[in-house]
Amino acid sequence: MSKFYTFLKYFFITFWTVFVVAPFLWAVSTSFKDFQSVNSKVTYIPWLDFEPTLEGWRVLIKSPAKGGVDIVEPYFNSIFVTCTASLISIVLGTLAAYALSRFTFKAGFVRNNDITFFFISQRIMPPIVLSIPFFIFLSTIGLLDSLLGLVVVYIVLLMPIAVWIMVDFFNRVPKELDETALIDGCNPYQAFYKVVLPNSIPGLIVAGMFCIIFGWIDFFFAFILTFTEVQLLPVKVVALNSSITPWWSLSASALVSVAPLIIVAFIVERYLSKGNLSGALK
Amino acid sequence: MEEQMAKIDLSNISHTYNPLDPKPTYALNPFSMTWENGKRYAILGPSGCGKTTMLNIVSGLVRPSKGEILFDETPVTDLKTEDRNIAQVFQFPVIYNTMTVYDNLAFPLRCREFTKEKIEERVKAVSDTLNLSSFLNSPARKLTADQKQLISLGRGLVREDVAAVLMDEPLTVIDPDLKFRLRRNLKEINEQYKTTLVYVTHDQNEAMTFAENIIVMDQGEIVQVGLPKDLFEKPKTTFVGYFIGSPAMNIFHSTVSSDHEVKIHDTTIKTNSNLGNLKDKNVKLGIRSEFIELAEKERSNTVKIKLTRVEDFGNFKLLTGKMGDLVVKSKVEREKPIPEGDLNLYFPPEKCCVYSDEKLV
Repeated sequence: MSKFYTFLKYFFITFWTVFVVAPFLWAVSTSFKDFQSVNSKVTYIPWLDFEPTLEGWRVLIKSPAKGGVDIVEPYFNSIFVTCTASLISIVLGTLAAYALSRFTFKAGFVRNNDITFFFISQRIMPPIVLSIPFFIFLSTIGLLDSLLGLVVVYIVLLMPIAVWIMVDFFNRVPKELDETALIDGCNPYQAFYKVVLPNSIPGLIVAGMFCIIFGWIDFFFAFILTFTEVQLLPVKVVALNSSITPWWSLSASALVSVAPLIIVAFIVERYLSKGNLSGALK
Repeated sequence: MEEQMAKIDLSNISHTYNPLDPKPTYALNPFSMTWENGKRYAILGPSGCGKTTMLNIVSGLVRPSKGEILFDETPVTDLKTEDRNIAQVFQFPVIYNTMTVYDNLAFPLRCREFTKEKIEERVKAVSDTLNLSSFLNSPARKLTADQKQLISLGRGLVREDVAAVLMDEPLTVIDPDLKFRLRRNLKEINEQYKTTLVYVTHDQNEAMTFAENIIVMDQGEIVQVGLPKDLFEKPKTTFVGYFIGSPAMNIFHSTVSSDHEVKIHDTTIKTNSNLGNLKDKNVKLGIRSEFIELAEKERSNTVKIKLTRVEDFGNFKLLTGKMGDLVVKSKVEREKPIPEGDLNLYFPPEKCCVYSDEKLV
């Protein structure tokens, strides 16, 4: 029975690994091919099946004037917008979440849970609902087609995630911890950043990871709210496509696009597996 | 270092957690009390009787709905927790997970900007008392539950200048052996530094062995304040009689028959209470099983019971008998021979307490 179970376990792990890794391997191999190798017979292994070329990668950094596509600037735009928006969302979201977790709010029939749900509801809405309001809003304040405008919009999109995760996290941090800090002589602000916050680092990391992922992969708003001045990576990658699909540079750009997320995943995984998610009490 | 210990006055304090309700339920009914400087107090009562609320009011975590708190005659009701100079230890260990044991113990002193030398000296002293010296540099989260609770306790004791150390059932998670040693340590600390200690518990033995003064609470009400001896011999209400002592006080429904006598069924029992204005009223007679004596034959103030059970506790025997529908328990010496069948038990008049409306007459 247990042997069968072990077999099943490894079978599914292997199956799943292949399922996840295969597209990456396919993209890696494709990124080193040229028109000939993609469009003639089926090929897999470099040097044996086809002659690898760096052309797919080179066009990514060549300027359009020289026949390249230059994703460097959109790449850094994306990094800037994602990191800035995530950082601000985490700071504001954490403060909001702490307040929602520790104080009782009351306005008519509205209670803490309703406020929390209001934040989350921003993510439940289909993004298209928000597109026209955002467009009008940004054009009114003159931030259409600008990095700052995107940062503002992304904060609106990412903060609910931060609030949602952190409220749940703070609710699990016993309030005796804050009370003890007060008794030990902290004022409420010191209690928050000296005691509660250090205890919430795992939560902050998880929230930060989600913000970065959702910020980085957003195509919709980046597409609608920018035109010529500013471009973000997802939009630029899509724009690579033309009447003859350049599979090689598409693959290369897909790989460089997921690279930061893979790095983030590795860092977060290491941190979380240290067991720092365990509770502060007992 | 200036001594800052204080007398704590609770004046007409009451508290409700739903003040906006048209009919608020009170977690604490109005009461006044004084905690003298340097004494040991135990607050004793069943769960949910308002013990923790009282501590939180003193430490400032809860603002009382009504009344005033004074430290050495200075009102502190509106003073924030961090400015009150109170140490509080909770039922379950609360530690700063991200810090080492040393930093945990030093934290209250650092918050109050003590010098580095002073911090080192105090942390060392406290960690020696609590057997934590060898762990000072380990991360606090790696310790066991009882060691963590020692850290919580240590953070309370590390400040010599506190007005009082409030402890909310602090030894629940600690094993019995260490519990005993810690209680003695706490007593020593109290005697050495003259720190006022307030100890919340629902365990009467803990309260009796620890405190000089015991405050018994029930349903938001302070029922009795006094020395262990008073609580045992003259419980002010039937609740205290039930709650303190093991087994609980014997309580019998009875009727007042004359100025000093009550009748249980047909037996007349003489008491030392003055029952003049309660004639023919229904009252309760209470007597501790420890004070009931075996009588060889029927005489005044004896009751006849049918023996139903004898339990040997090693150091004493507990007799359980029936007098009609009433159950009587009596503790007798182990060596004493117990006659079979019906027994006569003597109720010493000076040990009989009479309760009218559950209150001592």
